[in-house]
Parts: sequence; C-alpha cells; structure tokens
Amino acid sequence: MRETLIVQEVRKAIGKKEIIKGLSFTLKEGEVFGFLGPNGAGKTTTIRMLVGLIKPTSGCITICGFDLQRQFSEAIRHIGCIVENPELYPYLSGWENLEHFARMVPNISKERIQEVVELVGLQNRIHDRVRTYSLGMRQRLGIAQALLGKPKVLILDEPTNGLDPVGIREMREFIRFLAEKEGLSVLVSSHLLSEIQLMCDRVAIMAKGQIIRIDTVDNLLKEQARTAWKVEPLEKAKSLLEKETTILAERDGMLITYYEAKKLAEWNDMLVREGIRVSEIHPKLPTLEDLFIELTGGETID
Amino acid sequence: MTNLVYNEMLKVVRKKRLLIVASIIAVLVALFTYAQFRHVQDVQKRLGTSDWRTQLQQQIIDTQNRLNSSGLAEEWRKFLQIRLQQQQYYLDHDINPSAPGAPTFMRMFVENSIELFLPLMIMVVVADLVSSEASGGTIKLLLTRPVKRWKVLLSKYIAMLLSVSFIVLLLALLSYLISGAVFGYGGWNLPLLTGFTINGEELNTTNVHLIAQWKYLLVELSLAWFVSVVVGTLTFMLSVLMRSTAAVMGVMLAALISGAILSSMVSSWQSAKYLFMVNLSLTDYISGTAPPITGMTLGFSMSVLAVWGLVALFVSFIVFTKRDVY
Amino acid sequence: MNMNAVKIIALVSLIAGGCWLFGLGLTVYDQFFHGPTASLSKEIKPKETAVNEQQLHLVALGDSLTRGTGDETGKGYVGYTLDALRKKTKRPIQVTNLAIKGQQSTQLVTQIQKVEVQRQLRQADFVFMTIGGNDLFQGGEALRNFSRARIDEAKKVYLKNLDSVFRTIRAINPRAVVFYIGLYNPFNQLNNAKMTSAIVREWNYASAEVAARYPNIIAVPTYDLFELHVNDYLYSDQFHPNKEGYKLIGERVASLISFSKGGK
Repeated sequence: MRETLIVQEVRKAIGKKEIIKGLSFTLKEGEVFGFLGPNGAGKTTTIRMLVGLIKPTSGCITICGFDLQRQFSEAIRHIGCIVENPELYPYLSGWENLEHFARMVPNISKERIQEVVELVGLQNRIHDRVRTYSLGMRQRLGIAQALLGKPKVLILDEPTNGLDPVGIREMREFIRFLAEKEGLSVLVSSHLLSEIQLMCDRVAIMAKGQIIRIDTVDNLLKEQARTAWKVEPLEKAKSLLEKETTILAERDGMLITYYEAKKLAEWNDMLVREGIRVSEIHPKLPTLEDLFIELTGGETID
Repeated sequence: MTNLVYNEMLKVVRKKRLLIVASIIAVLVALFTYAQFRHVQDVQKRLGTSDWRTQLQQQIIDTQNRLNSSGLAEEWRKFLQIRLQQQQYYLDHDINPSAPGAPTFMRMFVENSIELFLPLMIMVVVADLVSSEASGGTIKLLLTRPVKRWKVLLSKYIAMLLSVSFIVLLLALLSYLISGAVFGYGGWNLPLLTGFTINGEELNTTNVHLIAQWKYLLVELSLAWFVSVVVGTLTFMLSVLMRSTAAVMGVMLAALISGAILSSMVSSWQSAKYLFMVNLSLTDYISGTAPPITGMTLGFSMSVLAVWGLVALFVSFIVFTKRDVY
Repeated sequence: MNMNAVKIIALVSLIAGGCWLFGLGLTVYDQFFHGPTASLSKEIKPKETAVNEQQLHLVALGDSLTRGTGDETGKGYVGYTLDALRKKTKRPIQVTNLAIKGQQSTQLVTQIQKVEVQRQLRQADFVFMTIGGNDLFQGGEALRNFSRARIDEAKKVYLKNLDSVFRTIRAINPRAVVFYIGLYNPFNQLNNAKMTSAIVREWNYASAEVAARYPNIIAVPTYDLFELHVNDYLYSDQFHPNKEGYKLIGERVASLISFSKGGK
C-alpha cells in the first residue's frame, strides 16, 4: 500500500510554548486513520498544519510526494478537508457554494459537481440556500466540497459532531465506503473512542501535543479492554483470581481484570467450582480516560 | 485569477451590500435635493430676486459681517476670509458657481460626501470582505484550495476596487438622476473656476482657469474615487487584521469621524496633517477652500493618502500570507 | 439576481474604474501642469440682467446701523422701512443690504468700487445708508478718551470719503433717491453729554452739508429721536439702537417716501 501522507517530526511553538511536540505518522492508501485525543490535545492544530492553515515551526509534511511548504498548490490539491465545522457561505445555495470552490481548482466540470452532489445525496436541496440546511446537510455539503477535487487524502475534523444517531451511522458508513471503494486515505479526528473504534483501521492517540501511541484499533482494544466481575464473596474471589491474573482495581463491589477472551470461561469455571457466586461478567471497553491514565502512567487528561 | 475575482464579486453582490449602499445613497440624495430646493426657494423669497449675482453679493456681505463679529475662532475666520475672496472672484468674473441643474447638485453632493459619507459607504461594503470569512470560518475552505494565499487576497482586493468604482458610479448616477428631476438635467457646460491656491489667508489666483462643469465633475469624482480606494484599502487591512466585522467598522468609524472633527480644530497641530483622515477632502483643493492646516496642498494630501494606502496594502498582504489560521 | 447580474456589475465596475482612473490622470494634469492663465481677467463682461420695471430696488449701504445690529429680530431700520413701504405700494420690492458691521467711510469707498455693488446701485430706486459712526466713535473709544484734535482729523478724512461716496453713487445712478441717515448720540445720558452732543451735532451738520451738494441726497436726522429717553432705545451694548430705536428710524425714513405721483 502506498503512503499518501507522511508527517515527520512536526513541531509548533507559539511564543516559547511548544504546543505540538514532534509528531510523526503516515497515512496509507485506503485506510481510515483515527486521531484520538481529548479536547486540547492538539488534534485541531495538527490538522490545521496538515492542510496548510498553520505553518509548523519545524518538521516536514509530504502529501503524495509533494512538500506542503515548498509546493503548496501541488500538495494541497490532493487533500480534501473539513476543519471543525463545515462552514459554508449561508447566503449562497449549496450548488453555488460548490461552484465557488470548483472555480478555485483547475478543471472541475459541472458533471463532477453533480457527481459529488449525488455521492452525498443532496440532489433535492442543492439549489436551496445553505442558510436553510440542517447541520447534517451542511456536513454532507462540506464533504461534497472536500471531494470536489478528487483528493487522495480526506481530512475530517470531528465529522460526527452534532449529528443525530442516524446521521452518525450514515457518516461512518460513508467514510468506510470512501476508504474501501474509492481508495482514499481518510484521517478522522475525534474525542470519542467508541466512534474511532467503529470506523478506523489505525489510530493515533494524542495528549498534550504528543502522539503517545499509534496502533491498529484491534491491538489497542485487546490490550486495553477490561473485564468486570460481580462476585460474592468478594475477598475470596479476589484471592482466587489473583492467582490467575492481576486485579487492576476494585470498584463498586466489582473486580476489574484484563480482558482475555480465551481464558474468561476458564476463570469463571474455576470461581464457580470454588463456590463463588458470579452474577455478572462483562467486558469493559476502556474509556478514553482509562486509556490515558494507562498510557501516560497515571497522568490525568489535562 | 478571473475566476477568483468572479467568486469575490459574487459574494459581494449576493450579500446585497451594494443594494444597501445604493438605497442609502438614493434616500440621502432625495433628502438633499429637497433641502436644496427649499433653500433656493427661501433665498429667492428673502431677497425678492432670483438673480444669482444679487444672491452671491448678499452672501459676500453676510460673510463680511460674520468676519467682523468678535469671538470668531481663528480657523473659521481664515476659512471665511478665503471663501470671501473666492466668492468675490467668481462675482468679479461674472461666473455663477451654483447655477441650478443636476450637475451642480452632483458637484455639491460629491464635495460634501467625500469626507465622511462616501467613506462610510465604502466601509459598509469593504469591512467584512475578509473578516467575514474569518468569523464565518469559510477562510479555512478558501485557504485549503490549490491557490496561493496572495492570490486569494489579491482577488479580494480587486473585488474591493471594483466595488469602490461601482459605488462612486452609483453616487454620480443617482445624484444626477434624482436631483435632475427637480433642478433639470442641463448645465454640463457651465464654466467653473479651478486652480486656486492658498497662501496663508490669501487666495492665490495666478493659476486659476476655467473648466467646463463636466470636466470639473470628472475631476471631483475621480478624486472621490481616489479617496474611496484609500479608505477601502485601510478598511481592507483592518478586515484582514481583525476577525470581527463590527470591530473593523468601529475602528474605521472612529477614524473617519475623528477626521471630520479634527479637520475643524487642528490648525495649530501641524503634524496632524500626516493623518489620513484630515486629508480626505481632496475636492476642497479643486474648489479652493482653505485646508484644515496651512501648507496642505492637493499634491501633499494625495501623497499622504497614497502612502497610507500602500502601507495598508503591504501590511495586508504580509499578514495574510504569513498568518496562522486558527 | 442570477449569475449574469454579477458579471454585469463586475463589468460596469471595471469600466467605471477605468473612467475614474482616467479622471485622476486628467486631475493631475489639470491641477499640477496647468500653466498660469493671465487672460481670465479680461473676460469680465458683467451682463446686465433684464430689470423688472415693476420691481422696486432698494440698496442699503453702510455699517452696523444699516445691518441692524442690536435688533433681536434682525430687521433693523431697513426692515421696518420696508414693512412700511409694503403697505404703501403693491409693487414688489427687492432689498439688497450691503452693509458691513464695523465699516468705516474709507472701506465704504472701496466697497462701492466693486463691480457687483455698482451694478446693484445702478438698478437701485432707493439707497439707504449710514456711515461715520465708526469713524467718530471708534467703538466709543474716541469720546471717552476725548481729544478734539483726533476727532477733527477723523472728521476731515470722513467728509472727504463721504463726498467721494456720494459722487460715485450719483455718477452710477443719477435718479435714485439716497437717504443718508445721520448719527444720534448714544452717550446722551453720560456725564459729559453736553460735550459729546456738541460733537455729534457738528458731525451731522457737516455731513448734511456734503449731502446738500448733490441732488436727491437727503440727510435724515436721528439725533432728535434719541435725545430724550436715550436709554429706552439703546441695546444692551449702550451703543446700538434696540428694536424700538430701529422702529423709530424706520418710521422716519418711511415717512419720507411716497408713491403718489411719478413713482417716487
């Protein structure tokens, strides 16, 4: 798989304060890459650097072989993006907005505009003013606008923000579709682990301007998932389980251990044999907070 | 580039700013036409004659009387003195500077609007040219196209120049069409005097010459355009520097109004003549009205304005191309 | 508004912009590179406007008294005279008040040399004038710091000027009736009233003598009007008449004009 976006040692300092402390990662063709981190971790700043809105203090961003700093037009041509909210001109119609942006890119035909409109399913309302659109429609128009120039890399900042559950699902499916069928690299940022988990192949976790971990979603989950046990009597169960695995915590009368799918049944069996009443066993996805505490060794998010 | 400029013009037109400006001008012109009409009637009634010479003579006497009043501010005195000499010059040469007609009204309207009204109209259109993109967030989309930043800004600047030209044209056309309905549409060839220079309290008439009113108007309108371009460029810079359109308007409004106030009280503050806002009344030099500060000339004022404009343009481009967009 | 409207506006703006730019070039050429024109002054040829025969022309010349300083209504004696005349005749009356506050006789001599002033005088049927008050009183200074020699000096100059004014008016317009309004003594109730009164009387007498040299110039006395109760008729500056004072003068002037026969 070809690499479409390469980020090397990118730093950004404002005054003396370094807010992005040396990021490096790559995006491959056809994958959805998640950018996970709490608000204020530097996701948006990073994304703005990727699309040329902010100049990095040092480091190098390469898009499809073009350096973003030195060959801005060639590089940016391969990127489609929505940064934060999909803000368009409210006093123009959706179609006029698309035409407006099409005029800024060489060789975009009316047919291409029609194509992206159909792709995002806005045919019915495209000639209405954007002012009258719902947030979901704006989001779709934003994506249409991002896709106009047939980009290789699509960058979406919090694409499900403010959407209703149905909208979120649609968006997710659409993003998967773009990556799998159209072969785009999609970079999605979010502060919700559940969302990233459902649509991304790989994920980078950011905190305080640094990437603390890049891995596939599967790996990350495997490592970080927990099992919660509701057992009685607690003390006895605890000592028994400790022989098999580590008790990570004791919370609300539950015991927390690592999640090891294969051994779960075994452990349960063992507990029952020893006369312990197991009333609940459930796998627990780590919350983002847990992940951070885990990955940063006990530091809090902010 | 044409595409980019077309985009910007599309936005200007669709925001309906030009329409708003056109209606404001139309309303004001109608208002002033009526006021002027009443004034003409009143003078005729008071003097019992429509002979302009008598009217002008009476104006001269009125001015002389005012000059002899005690407690007259020095600047005002000087202003009156020069206007007096000019009126006398017109009278001595048997030229009526205010022969009724739409072109005459146009001339007066341009002369009176160049300092404040026209700049305000320019401001209405230009203030949000860049700042609205920043506050509306669309700047992020605009700058992530395969177009260099300076080109984006240049297209906006060209759109600004076009809008300014359009507004000055609107001002000319509307004032001509509306006032003509009352005063008649003739009077293009009326001879007028220009080329007065002012030395202290004296009106220097060595360069005075006659030009036809249409030419005079063209001169005044082009000066109004020049002023508008400079004010537009300054507003443009503020629009680049600030996200909030209201802040841009506030700063510009403060500058323009302080200019109008300063013009009438800065005669003793010499260095104030380097401020752009006291140099806006370029048409005063054509008609020969005393400048707010001695030593100011048409060339001087135009240079000051040009320097301000160029600096503003330079700052706009530097900031816009270098700035990080958050 | 469709797409075409934008194109049309852009095109019109472009043309307008070109036009203004051309105008700016013209401006620079016209204002900075225009040679001095000496010929202009020769072009003067004041055209006489058609005089409405029906209309009466009234020209007022002189100083603050003719201007009406002190009358809060702003009418002055000219205004009151006019009010009275309007009752006497149906003909429209046009008034041109050319009086300037603080004007002295020397300045009046210059003023009536002006082309337009002369044109006004040529059309005039009546001329009202007051002059000399500022020559004599110089704002009250002359009488307070009384000096016979200085007053005599002022009087000599004044009489010469007055003669010149009358002569000019007569030369321009032989038929207009000129009412020369004399001085009153505003200091009549001060302690040196006797002396000031004498000076004003002499002044008036000499002025009347000059007026008498020309036909149709009538010296109108006001001295007697203000002799009793002078303070009732003076404005708060104790120098100019107030509304009542001006009414007195107006009535007197008006009484001298009748339209019974021959129009005058």
